[in-house]
Amino acid sequence: MRKVGFTSTIPLEVIIAAGAVPVDLNNIFITSPKSTILIEDAELAGFPRNVCGWIKGIYGTVVAHGIDEMIAVTEGDCSYTKALMEVLSLQGVRVHPFGYPASRDPQVLRHEIEKLMEYLGVGWEEVNAAKRRLDAIRLKVREIDRLSWEENRVTGEENHYFQVATSDMNGDPDTFEAEVDAFLAEARGREPMKQRMRLAFLGVPPITSGLYPFVESLDARVVFNETQRQFAMPYGIEDLVEQYRAYTYPYDIMHRLADVKREIGRRRIDGVIHYVQSFCFRQIEDLVLRRQLEIPIITLEGDKPGPVDARTKIRMEGFLELLAERLDERSA
Amino acid sequence: MKIGIDLGSRKAKFALLSGKEVVRLANLDTITFYKRFGRMEGDELSLDLEGSGIFTGDELAAASVTVTGYGRNTVNLKGARVISEIRAHVAGAVLQTGLHDFTLLDMGGQDTKVAQVSGGKLMDFVMNDKCAASSGRYLENMAAVLEVPLEELSRHYEEPVALDATCGIFGESELIGQILRGYPMSRLCAGVNLTLVKRVLPMLKRYPSKALVVTGGVALNTAMIHLLAEHHGILPVVPRYPQHNGAIGCASMG
Repeated sequence: MRKVGFTSTIPLEVIIAAGAVPVDLNNIFITSPKSTILIEDAELAGFPRNVCGWIKGIYGTVVAHGIDEMIAVTEGDCSYTKALMEVLSLQGVRVHPFGYPASRDPQVLRHEIEKLMEYLGVGWEEVNAAKRRLDAIRLKVREIDRLSWEENRVTGEENHYFQVATSDMNGDPDTFEAEVDAFLAEARGREPMKQRMRLAFLGVPPITSGLYPFVESLDARVVFNETQRQFAMPYGIEDLVEQYRAYTYPYDIMHRLADVKREIGRRRIDGVIHYVQSFCFRQIEDLVLRRQLEIPIITLEGDKPGPVDARTKIRMEGFLELLAERLDERSA
Repeated sequence: MKIGIDLGSRKAKFALLSGKEVVRLANLDTITFYKRFGRMEGDELSLDLEGSGIFTGDELAAASVTVTGYGRNTVNLKGARVISEIRAHVAGAVLQTGLHDFTLLDMGGQDTKVAQVSGGKLMDFVMNDKCAASSGRYLENMAAVLEVPLEELSRHYEEPVALDATCGIFGESELIGQILRGYPMSRLCAGVNLTLVKRVLPMLKRYPSKALVVTGGVALNTAMIHLLAEHHGILPVVPRYPQHNGAIGCASMG
């Protein structure tokens, strides 16, 4: 079966309509037991040390998995992707560029989606049918999210996993849906978790592991996974173009902030973890978040895959102590 | 009696307090201290505090022990209460200066922390990440390249030579280049001190405040304090025992 890799969330419906297997290269990179070796492979091939680990990991993944066809998001995500695309093209990988228009102009976005449809040889009828199929699964994943913040029955990490996995439905929507169903049936019967502090996780998904259980051991829990939730297309919009216009991740930070502010209020968030990837342009957005959000923020920086390091833990502990003191004062 | 211990990356620092009164302070090289007096019992770190001779048996029997610092995430110190570094340093600065509203700059062996304190409480903080080029270790390295003691390095702030390397290690070769150009030692030392100030200024600008308290071993660098005042526009307050601030803070929380 035709396998199509992609570097960041793209209209998944088009790949599904084409009968191909979607592969979110980020997901197979980070879940690989050899993730650090994949980065080293990229560095040996000549990628600079001070370039984001995600880009190098994607390069290593494409080479290691023998992926010969991919969609590269060249506008609205990492600008390194353009150079990545050039290097991979030289190595014989067929690369189709996809750009989210900075203007969020519906006509331009429709044109981009139609170019992708033309490339994969599908029409609107098949794409809309694929959308209905995927939306049914997304609706269930939205319920997992709701169980995490409204009923406190799903951990931050479990929610993170299911939201992230919707970007490619783990390559097989039917199997993924069965996994979602089984999880929902189990999670609904759980006792609600009782951690006192409610956290938001903003920014790109972390390259490091172990953060979620660590904060849970300190009486806190992530009840809002910002970007991961975006991957799951949380708005239930019927029109495909409008759905990818509402999607916040590829556009300017003000569009993202409207969503973030609404959810921080709705989910009664006490503090924010802003994860930034080393050598990523999104690190600059930290100063905008700090000016725009009136809530304690801790900024964590990750570079390469691996467990959360001791220094990050020290900082996280200090931050949670600060939040706890604030809550004590409020309740006194 | 209250004992505070700050296990830093370079030095282990100790404080004995009676009420708010500092009775005794001590410090040892961290690695030497661990080698001679530390041992793992299961997943707990056991420190032979009596064997180290810093405290008497009677003091140890009577005192509460509070600890902070490096390694505390991987090991639990037996019989001690463990608190976060940032909390320890804020408590130490409040006790030592009597101030309640200030920005705290703590510069240690590898860590630089900037905290905003309001009404004696921690409001927010940032720490250097992924780079220790704004820490005491940087000063030590540069002093070694210049072949001057830290005390000498810490005296000069006039006409600093420009040093631009982002990396503390590349800074060494840059410094060597400036030595070859024939700049006097005083200007080279001033350049090193100014580099440190420029690295922490963006963190300080994040928390505007009327008072700036500087703690940690680097606070003993008077030239750096002078340059900080000049470039930040606030005369910093350096408490009497900047290097032991974390240990004193720990003890005060006991």
